[in-house]
Amino acid sequence: MTAVLDRPDTERVPRFGQLFGRIVLAGVIAGALAGAFSLLVTGRAIAPALELEEARAAAEGAGHEHGEELFTRSEQMFGGFLGTVLAGVVLAVLFAAVYGAVRHRLPGRTDFARVMLLAAVGFGVLALLPALKIPANPPAVGDPATVDTRTAIYGGTLLCGVVGVMLVAALVSWLRSRGTGIPTTAVAATLAIGVLLAMVLVFVPDNPDTIAADVPAAVVWDFRLASLGQLAVLWAGIGLAGGWLLDRFTRRPAAS
Amino acid sequence: MTSSPHAQRAAAGRGRISVPAWAWAITLIALFGLYLIAQDNGQVLQSLGETAHEFFHDARHSLGMPCH
Repeated sequence: MTAVLDRPDTERVPRFGQLFGRIVLAGVIAGALAGAFSLLVTGRAIAPALELEEARAAAEGAGHEHGEELFTRSEQMFGGFLGTVLAGVVLAVLFAAVYGAVRHRLPGRTDFARVMLLAAVGFGVLALLPALKIPANPPAVGDPATVDTRTAIYGGTLLCGVVGVMLVAALVSWLRSRGTGIPTTAVAATLAIGVLLAMVLVFVPDNPDTIAADVPAAVVWDFRLASLGQLAVLWAGIGLAGGWLLDRFTRRPAAS
Repeated sequence: MTSSPHAQRAAAGRGRISVPAWAWAITLIALFGLYLIAQDNGQVLQSLGETAHEFFHDARHSLGMPCH
């Protein structure tokens, strides 16, 4: 028994309530950071699209569907911040339940490593995968007639991602239980992720909308990057803040 | 109970956490709430949904959810 190898990683298993409180707090922090990103970056990327909508409305003559705005732009920006905070809390609640259920199966010596890994998986499945399959669009792009179809594609993509993660996790568990080494397991898991990703991209239907000719490509590109950046801040925040808070707690030896 | 303190700690690190049913219930309620404020197109909330939709419009777009 060498002292170095036996350096304590995690000293205790948190009770679920202890885990839940810390992860939800991390969700509030992450939501506030991503909300700040929304105010500083994404909100600005949305502005040119809103100007385009107004220009279209003016060209068609005032008084149709968006004739009377319910909220001012600054109120909507605040709504963007608040909605992002709420999304952070909701995702953190989901994260806490899933982390509690799978913590003993996640690799990693510390809770920080395990929380970061699950946050990376969450970003990959709930942010990056839909960004590849059905990328975010700014206002002025979506066709109201296809919103239900697009919602179904979005939801279906998320579902495929969750099922895919479970399949890859099952593959890794199976290989490890047969004594397969880590390098071989990593290669097999990466191949499996590639095949599953390709299947989602090929077999899930594409967004039926075409982007109207009056929408500059830069407006769409800037918005998509900003959207993905905002989601990256959200998931990085949940991982870093949640991992840090939980790790501090589980490293301390249990009292009594 | 003859295992070393280190082994006990390692075992603790691998211990299972029992996730209570209320956690899954709250998760479902929270996800449904997020759907209502972000994704509902008036199917459930009617006109209140439109107000919520307009107020959370930025969040909905920027989090990558489909919208008109």
